[in-house]
Amino acid sequence: MTFKTKKPSVRFSQQRSYKRQLNLHLAVIIVAIAAIFLKTFIPALSGEETTALAFKVFLMLVTGVVVSLFVEIVYAISEGTVEKFYSYKSYVDPINTGLLIALVLPSVTPIYVLVLAVIIGVFAGKLVYGGYGFYIFNPVLVGVLFAMLSFSTQLVVVGTPLQALKDAMSGVTTQVDLWPLIFGNYEAIAIGSAGVIILLLAFIYLCVTRVIDLRISGVFLVAVAVISFIIGYFNGFALDYILINLITGLTMFGAVFLISESVSSPTSRETKIIYATVVAILTMMVRVLGTYNEGVIFAILFGNMLTPFINRTVKRSNQKTLIKTVIFSVLMVVLVGAVLGLMLNNRIEEANAFIGGILL
Amino acid sequence: MITENKTFLEPKKVYIPLTDNQSKIANVKVNEGDKVITGQVVAEKFNGKVKTPVIATISGEVIGFTEKMDRHGKLVDHVIIENDFKRSTVDLKAFPNEIAPAEIRNRLNILGVKEVSYDGLFTEIDFSNPVEHVIVNAVFNNEPFVSTEYGFVMKYAEEIADGIVLLGKAAYAKTVTIIVDKFMDVEAYEELGKAISDKEIDLKLINTKKIKGWDYKIAQKLVKEPLTNNLLDNGILYTTVDAAKMVHDAIREGMPLTKRQVAITGDSLKSNAIYDVRIGTLFSDLVDDLEGYNESENMNLHIGNYLTGTQLPTDDFAITGSVDSIEVSDFEEEEEDVCIKCGDCNDICPAGILPQNIMDAELRNVNQRIVELNTNECVECGLCTFVCPSKINVLEWVRRAKRRVG
Repeated sequence: MTFKTKKPSVRFSQQRSYKRQLNLHLAVIIVAIAAIFLKTFIPALSGEETTALAFKVFLMLVTGVVVSLFVEIVYAISEGTVEKFYSYKSYVDPINTGLLIALVLPSVTPIYVLVLAVIIGVFAGKLVYGGYGFYIFNPVLVGVLFAMLSFSTQLVVVGTPLQALKDAMSGVTTQVDLWPLIFGNYEAIAIGSAGVIILLLAFIYLCVTRVIDLRISGVFLVAVAVISFIIGYFNGFALDYILINLITGLTMFGAVFLISESVSSPTSRETKIIYATVVAILTMMVRVLGTYNEGVIFAILFGNMLTPFINRTVKRSNQKTLIKTVIFSVLMVVLVGAVLGLMLNNRIEEANAFIGGILL
Repeated sequence: MITENKTFLEPKKVYIPLTDNQSKIANVKVNEGDKVITGQVVAEKFNGKVKTPVIATISGEVIGFTEKMDRHGKLVDHVIIENDFKRSTVDLKAFPNEIAPAEIRNRLNILGVKEVSYDGLFTEIDFSNPVEHVIVNAVFNNEPFVSTEYGFVMKYAEEIADGIVLLGKAAYAKTVTIIVDKFMDVEAYEELGKAISDKEIDLKLINTKKIKGWDYKIAQKLVKEPLTNNLLDNGILYTTVDAAKMVHDAIREGMPLTKRQVAITGDSLKSNAIYDVRIGTLFSDLVDDLEGYNESENMNLHIGNYLTGTQLPTDDFAITGSVDSIEVSDFEEEEEDVCIKCGDCNDICPAGILPQNIMDAELRNVNQRIVELNTNECVECGLCTFVCPSKINVLEWVRRAKRRVG
């Protein structure tokens, strides 16, 4: 009798990376459908005509998927590896990427911009590096950043809550209602970011199925909350500032789908915490100081850029390193929050005088 | 499939390997045609200056020597003894009462109680290096799937406790620890508790529902330094309750190591059993006793620890003292996915090193980075491969990295 050798099997079949991808797939599709629904259903209740908007959003999602699949299949044909597309397994990741690019763009996006964004994202962001599992930048964000920088005039959305927040800093008084924000009935910076409730459900589902690592997404959310609390505290409206920063913009969407993307993020628990902290700090910096309203895209791409370096900083993973990392991260978050808060309030000179005039 | 208790103590022929993984040179003491009796020394194997006797496990006639695959997958010389069914034994002295530590060590060596538990973190019963801590595992023969039989623990609780004390005494150990499952069968737990209550044995409870290298963590708490591949180098003797029972038998009753309990499982066998086997029996004989195989295309034979055990291409090998379980099963080869860098292997590694980063460095051929990442601290427990959602054999990459930097 002869026997063959085999590889050891994994813990549970649910833990397979393909299953994780499928779970993500499911969540993205649900969020995409919910985005159409939430965007159009609530205004329709009060008698507004929303069919055109719903059709536009639907068209964008379909275009994203079709173009993404087209690019992947053409590339596979040119490489001679088209056999892998005989099973549904290989369709999951392209569909995810296409849907996510469509979801991160606003509903005013012209279709040709979306097509270009998907081509750039899938080809230059993913396939050039060798496909799924090998890229260093999140392909979704590569495509979106390309669209945002090259077609900035076509993608202008006016009256978003983040814009209102920025205006409020320079003295303009604005009123933002909480309920429309929660149900997604407002001018959002992206299709997918509307509807925090559905994103929260997706967050919980993906945490349970272990697609999302809480040490990235959770730390990111907590760090954003802490920084915005400190900024708000210095400016006298702490709670509003936290709420608007957490539930609008791409914060929640980024925590669920963008920053938790495992291929382009670091691998050990310490580096994951550092990565999430860096991304949160940069997000808030762009939101407070930058010319753009939304900082998540820049911040995550910058975090991807830093990932090899962050990976190199931690050599072993034990309790000592973990405590060091946590202390460092908390200090950084608090310091950045305080500095940003004081800068917004034009009190940086006062603070400088308080610590003895060593800054300026 | 019903698992039953069976015995197979009178094989027609036994094949005893003259060397093993540690001792590579053997000095044969018998010739073809000699009569031997149970417990007689047929050869002496050497690992450096450490001499270990090879013991005849049945009485009979030496009918020759042959080259065969042993349980580690290597071709080594075996001595063949034909059974005469007389069961004559070397008369060995038993020590039912007090015994000096040096005498225990001497007896264990003479009676061949050395290579009992081998796979994974388990060490041989070896006193050539000073041993400071003795740890006995009453939970697993093989983490994570093959557990110790609790009927065995219940039946022989006193003997096991006595064996553990003897091991501690022989080593002049500072601490003697027994690892017990939190969710263990209550009766077995009570029996074991009664047996060890009046002896100086620490009890450590572990939660077996979570797999995270508990034994490694317990060992590390004892020595407070990074562990090496072989725990004996850290002054730890780590073994199973089977070995404790054998130590008791050897000292108190003067029984040489001639039989052991082997769990033979798997879907590809017609029936499964827990066997009392004479050491040296061919596995194919046991399979005949179990009515053969359910033959299929992809069959796999796995000896010992689920994560770190060996897989053999043939069933023509002899059971040795270190074989505790054999699994023969049908399998479907599943494709390896790309690494999605989820970091599960980094989280579970009991040594606290980063297998994913080591694998990455090995793929990019960066020697300096492999050294920086403390690759030499890997104990090859196999948990990284076990948790990998992409079915990558992470352990193999880390092993390669380890070999590359020496």
